[in-house]
Amino acid sequence: MSKADGDPRQRRPNIVVQEMTEDTIKFVLTGTDTSIANALRRVIIAEVPTIAIDLVEVIENSSCLCDEFIAHRLGLIPLVSHKAADMEFPYDYAGDDETVTDVPIELRVKCVSDQTEDVTSNDLLINGDYTQYDTVKPVHYRPSGRAFGDATASGAPADGSQADGDKHPILILKLRKNQEINMRCVARKGVGRDHAKWQPVATAVYRFEPEITINEDLMATLTEEEKIKFVESSPTPVFRYNDQTRKVEVNMPESYTYDGECLKWAEDMGKPGLVDIRAKEDTFLFTVESTGALPPETIVLNALKVLDTKLEMTKSELDIVKSEMDTAGVE
Amino acid sequence: MSEENVAVEEEEEIGQEDAWTVISSFFEEKGLARQQLDSFNEFIQHTMQEIVDEMSDFTIEPEEQHMPGEEADGKGKKKYKVEFKQIYLSKPMVTEADGMTSTLFPKEARLRNLTYSAPLYIDMAKSTITTTDEIDATTGKYIETIDTEEYPKVFFGKVPIMLRSQYCSLHDHTDKELTELGECPYDEGGYFIINGSEKVLIAQEKMSTNHVYVFEKRQPSKYMWVAECRSSPESGARAASSCMARLCHAPGTKDEAGVISVTIPYIRTEIPLFVVFRALGFVADKDILEHLVYDFEDHEMMQLLRNSIEEAQVIQSQDVALDFIGKRGSAVGVTRPKRIQYAREILQKELLPHVGVNEGCETKKAYFLGYIVNRLLLCALGRKKEDDRDHFGNKRMDLSGPLIAMLFRQLFRKVTKDVRLYSQRCIDSGKDIQLTLAVKAKTITSGLKYSLATGNWGAQGAQDIRAGVSQVLNRLSFSSTLSHLRRLNSPIGREGKLAKPRQLHNSHWGMVCPAETPEGQAVGLVKNLSLMCLVSVGSPSAPLLEFLEEWSMENLEEISPSVIVNATKIFVNGVWVGVHREPAQLVQTLRNLRRKLDITIEVGVVHDIALRELRLYTDYGRCIRPLFIVEDNHLVIKKKDIQMLYEKEITGYTWNDLVATGCIEYVDTEEEETTMIAMTIDELVGQRINAEPGGVKHMYTHCEIHPSMILGICASIIPFPDHNQSPRNTYQSAMGKQAMGMYVTNFQIRMDTLAYVLFYPQKPLVTTRAMEHLHFRELPAGVNVVVGIMCYTGYNQEDSVIMNQSSIDRGLFRSIFYRSFKDEEKKQGSLTKEELERPSRDTTLGMRHGTYDKLDDDGLICPGTRVSGEDIIIGKTSPLPEDDPSAVSKRFTKRDCSTGMKNSETGIIDQVLLTTNDQGLRFVKIRVRSCRTPQVGDKFSSRHGQKGTIGMTYTQEDMPFTCEGIVPDIIVNPHAIPSRMTIGQLVECLMGKVAAMMGKEGDATPFTPVTVESISDMLHMCGYQKRGNEVMYNGHTGRKLEAKIFLGPTYYQRLKHMVDDKIHSRGRGPVQILTRQPMEGRSRDGGLRFGEMERDCIISHGAAAFLKERLMDQSDAYRIHVCETCGLIAVANLKNQTFECCKNPSERTKVVQVMMPYACKLLFQELMSMAVAPRLVT
Repeated sequence: MSKADGDPRQRRPNIVVQEMTEDTIKFVLTGTDTSIANALRRVIIAEVPTIAIDLVEVIENSSCLCDEFIAHRLGLIPLVSHKAADMEFPYDYAGDDETVTDVPIELRVKCVSDQTEDVTSNDLLINGDYTQYDTVKPVHYRPSGRAFGDATASGAPADGSQADGDKHPILILKLRKNQEINMRCVARKGVGRDHAKWQPVATAVYRFEPEITINEDLMATLTEEEKIKFVESSPTPVFRYNDQTRKVEVNMPESYTYDGECLKWAEDMGKPGLVDIRAKEDTFLFTVESTGALPPETIVLNALKVLDTKLEMTKSELDIVKSEMDTAGVE
Repeated sequence: MSEENVAVEEEEEIGQEDAWTVISSFFEEKGLARQQLDSFNEFIQHTMQEIVDEMSDFTIEPEEQHMPGEEADGKGKKKYKVEFKQIYLSKPMVTEADGMTSTLFPKEARLRNLTYSAPLYIDMAKSTITTTDEIDATTGKYIETIDTEEYPKVFFGKVPIMLRSQYCSLHDHTDKELTELGECPYDEGGYFIINGSEKVLIAQEKMSTNHVYVFEKRQPSKYMWVAECRSSPESGARAASSCMARLCHAPGTKDEAGVISVTIPYIRTEIPLFVVFRALGFVADKDILEHLVYDFEDHEMMQLLRNSIEEAQVIQSQDVALDFIGKRGSAVGVTRPKRIQYAREILQKELLPHVGVNEGCETKKAYFLGYIVNRLLLCALGRKKEDDRDHFGNKRMDLSGPLIAMLFRQLFRKVTKDVRLYSQRCIDSGKDIQLTLAVKAKTITSGLKYSLATGNWGAQGAQDIRAGVSQVLNRLSFSSTLSHLRRLNSPIGREGKLAKPRQLHNSHWGMVCPAETPEGQAVGLVKNLSLMCLVSVGSPSAPLLEFLEEWSMENLEEISPSVIVNATKIFVNGVWVGVHREPAQLVQTLRNLRRKLDITIEVGVVHDIALRELRLYTDYGRCIRPLFIVEDNHLVIKKKDIQMLYEKEITGYTWNDLVATGCIEYVDTEEEETTMIAMTIDELVGQRINAEPGGVKHMYTHCEIHPSMILGICASIIPFPDHNQSPRNTYQSAMGKQAMGMYVTNFQIRMDTLAYVLFYPQKPLVTTRAMEHLHFRELPAGVNVVVGIMCYTGYNQEDSVIMNQSSIDRGLFRSIFYRSFKDEEKKQGSLTKEELERPSRDTTLGMRHGTYDKLDDDGLICPGTRVSGEDIIIGKTSPLPEDDPSAVSKRFTKRDCSTGMKNSETGIIDQVLLTTNDQGLRFVKIRVRSCRTPQVGDKFSSRHGQKGTIGMTYTQEDMPFTCEGIVPDIIVNPHAIPSRMTIGQLVECLMGKVAAMMGKEGDATPFTPVTVESISDMLHMCGYQKRGNEVMYNGHTGRKLEAKIFLGPTYYQRLKHMVDDKIHSRGRGPVQILTRQPMEGRSRDGGLRFGEMERDCIISHGAAAFLKERLMDQSDAYRIHVCETCGLIAVANLKNQTFECCKNPSERTKVVQVMMPYACKLLFQELMSMAVAPRLVT
């Protein structure tokens, strides 16, 4: 995207990160249109590769849930997917030793106590042989050391530290006394389009930034009570009534959901045009919530990379077509 | 009253929330299958012994045997008396093939296909009465010596036991113990286990007996009015006998009344009314009229009887009247005294037997007959309307108790008859009677089992058997099970065009669910009990009669007919027992006694002021329901009672205490007509406070506990049913029974033939209060999904829906399907039996295509094996007889009888059960499981009769989204709403959104003051558009959608209809043997029918060649050879090219080849076999 520098119509897409936490990112995308914003959203959801358990071999299962049930639950556990970049899709397997497609994970638990015991993602056993892939692990992973049928180990993390309150391991199933599960799983790289378990995000969404202008003249015709009513007519805190100035001010324009309640209120009051709300067609407020498989910023960057590759591919294909047409034209 | 007092009193008044506490205590006490349990317990505890006592003994004498050389005299003559006494029932037991007996628990009965029944023992006695030589000086007869031999506790048969009844092994177990016994603690019992399958007895509706009905007849009939009484005595030991009084048209007129005639059982013709009275011993016209017209001043009525008086003028004495009746009876060609005696007996035993069958009942019978005619006349004079046949108060329910009692009576009669026959044979041949051998326990055991297993009610081979009384308990979802236990059936012909019996009647209020009934032929005939409806079990009328005596009722025999005019007639179970002059006081006393439980709570007290009647009922089968008692527009129940209920741990206060303290009473349908019921507590308060002076003030006698209790099980699951069009509630009531969920908690240890279980069932966000008692939260059947009502891409037209594929990936609506197969080694003759093994191709005849490789050596498949198609899962062989001709060569010694999978199904073997049945033979059940993920074509439904199939699945990025990133799980088409008017679904969605935001359950109970406006306001406060609309963005393009979308969580059900079970196609395939046309049905890989209408369509197109191809070439084309000379089928030998017909060699060339459907050829041959020659001639 470099050549048409001089074209005055060319847009300069720009991203400004507004807020970033461990698993969410909020940024503003400007200088582009809906199609690009939506493409980015769709790629984030469906085409950023992650790693998830894809194959489960059941050796022993005497729990109350059937094999398919547990296999499905295992598949949905988000695995930390930094290594996804170094792995190949199973269908791209070249047949050599270099390409890595599979990461083995095991789950072996037997309940020996009288109470029902939880089997969680902490009980998953990341195989040591693949040391370079030991980063492929469940989110918030703290090995319980209980696998290998170690009766003494409890479900609590082996290192004695308690998981943070909001970072519970993911519950897979519960076992009663003498019930046992023993499964060999294979984690693979995949994309959300194939199965939701490979989605890196819970949701990725954008909204148009609204431009709100209050018709101050018309607003001045409202009584104080009516002004408060007007502010309350919107379910979200878009407006604010300022006690000092006795004026209605725009409070949080980004919270406006385009529900049109305030407009309707104005209409019902016989004051159409009290406020004017317009969506900025080239500004998108993005929110991306990660599942934990990848940090949110990485997801966005990976998505852009995927988008870029796609465009490159389209371009090269187009070039081929063009060259073919040119040669045909010469003849 | 001072203001302070009022305040205190107001405080004491209970509120609606307190009413729910009362309702909770009701369900805690009674559960939902109480009518079944009560009815069965009554049978076990009382009825069974009563039936035995009815026919408790018989005496037999040896037949006179001709003994050469011995002279017969009265001496040394022996008589034998056999008595049946006390019966004993033990807990359910099982007797193994080796004779071991042990207590049986339902789990074992279900798994091993046993019958859950308890042995019945009876005390018997045999007395030998010998006439001695000596003569008793006082009586002048031979002295008799009695020698009694007791047979204690003779085994008498096995009685199937209802689960959770008093004699069930599970009675009085805690939930924990039940779980340990492999039972579901939420299961209510109320059904039987016969040969391992769960059977419910469906309550049968019938008209009540001993009740006088008056009906008007329409023109073609020769009668104007008919009064009818189907009489059956309290013991119910005999079929009801009908007595009718009919008012004829006067000869030659259209609307003038003529004579009144009476029909009497066993008498062929109708008897003039006055003749019947004279036969009963009332001769004088005045005497008779006194019984008919209580008030001689009533000239109109007297006039109506004129014709009847004149008609019977010629018969003026009892004997003549009796002779008149006797002549029309079945005894012909006998002497006059015999005829009179016969007539007398008919009148005594067969006419109105409920009044009495002993001698001396004539007065009472005359009064009753007079009463029937009086009612007839009242109607004829237009003073009273004709009776309503469909009034629910005139209906009685036969529940499991009476149904089994009926059967038991028949079988007990048969046993006694057999014992008698056996004893007679014994003594005739001079042997001693061995009573233990005489009793055939099998009669009762297999008799009861037969009826319960097949549903054909009545002894095998008997006439008037009713089919479908016992049904296999529906275990599709928990609510369908509960609903099945509360079903009612009216045995009126389904073809009957009469709409009346099918319609919802006013009197169904609170007793029968207004929504839950099947669609189609059985609409309105199959009903369901409302939540708080119970059915009376019946109690003897004797205690009540005693009370009446005590409270100065005047007995019928003791009064002069003239007092009747001003007194109130008292009926007990339809029998006129007397009159009373202070009825209001008596009614009050009786009600008070009932409220104090001095007489049984379920007694019905009906004071019909207009008719001057007091009708009391103690019979079984009346529908009753509880109501708050109101005195002086104040509820008797007070806040303190509620407080006691709350603290029941300490106080031990339960529902029964509320009933015993007179806060609540049960009211039956007929009594309900005489009460004044406030709909709500507020109405009561309003009436008290706001009654304007001079305005009409209602004086209530009762108050509804809650109006939503009129609904049945299935309708109680619907949120806001009061916002829906009524048929939608009916549709949902039917659909809720097909929803998957968790049907019992012990499904893993059950081996049901078919079972569906949802992976992740959820309790609904929007609930009703009644759901609490249906355990819908604990055993739900659905999922809360985010539903958007919108058009999107067009893949949700015509009741299809778009589903979010990503949600499906995450486990939405996943389910498991279980199918169980069963087989056992059967005995063939006494020596050989079948054997479970892996059949080998070398020695076994008739092996199937499917693979036998998955079987282990024991002939059973291993758990965890993946199976599909026609794989064999149980290997079994039966030995071939040595000299069997079908054994092609000597190498075959066995025949294959293995069980294979259904050919269209796949799955994984889940569980294998190997055990023995009651004959000690090996018995195996195998359960196959398969996971079902929603896919295009699967069926879903909301709780408002809005069903739809998946038309398309879209992944998350393709679904429309809101600015918060919310993506709907299901998109339904807006066209599904306006014409169906299921506003309830919209309100549910709105409330669901509020509930989800506030983290609370929404209350959608009908008839509560919740408004859409109040929900909307809450939603507004949660930061959403108040009507639930949201701006959405197109997932494909990212553009904002023009319309705002109504979006929110709605509870959806997955229905059992899935494409994988229906998908079917066929090219070539199996054909029927007889017609060679393709087989029918998916299970046989059949063809798709090209029916008449399709045929018509092609004809109208003129596509003749296509039609021929469909109907013949692709079906059963067949070539035959026809002789051109005679037109009949010729004998063709294609190998030698020889054709024969008409015995003429020169004609051989005249044979032609014809193609025709094989069915046509078959028809020709069948015709020929009947000596009809169908000739094919051109």
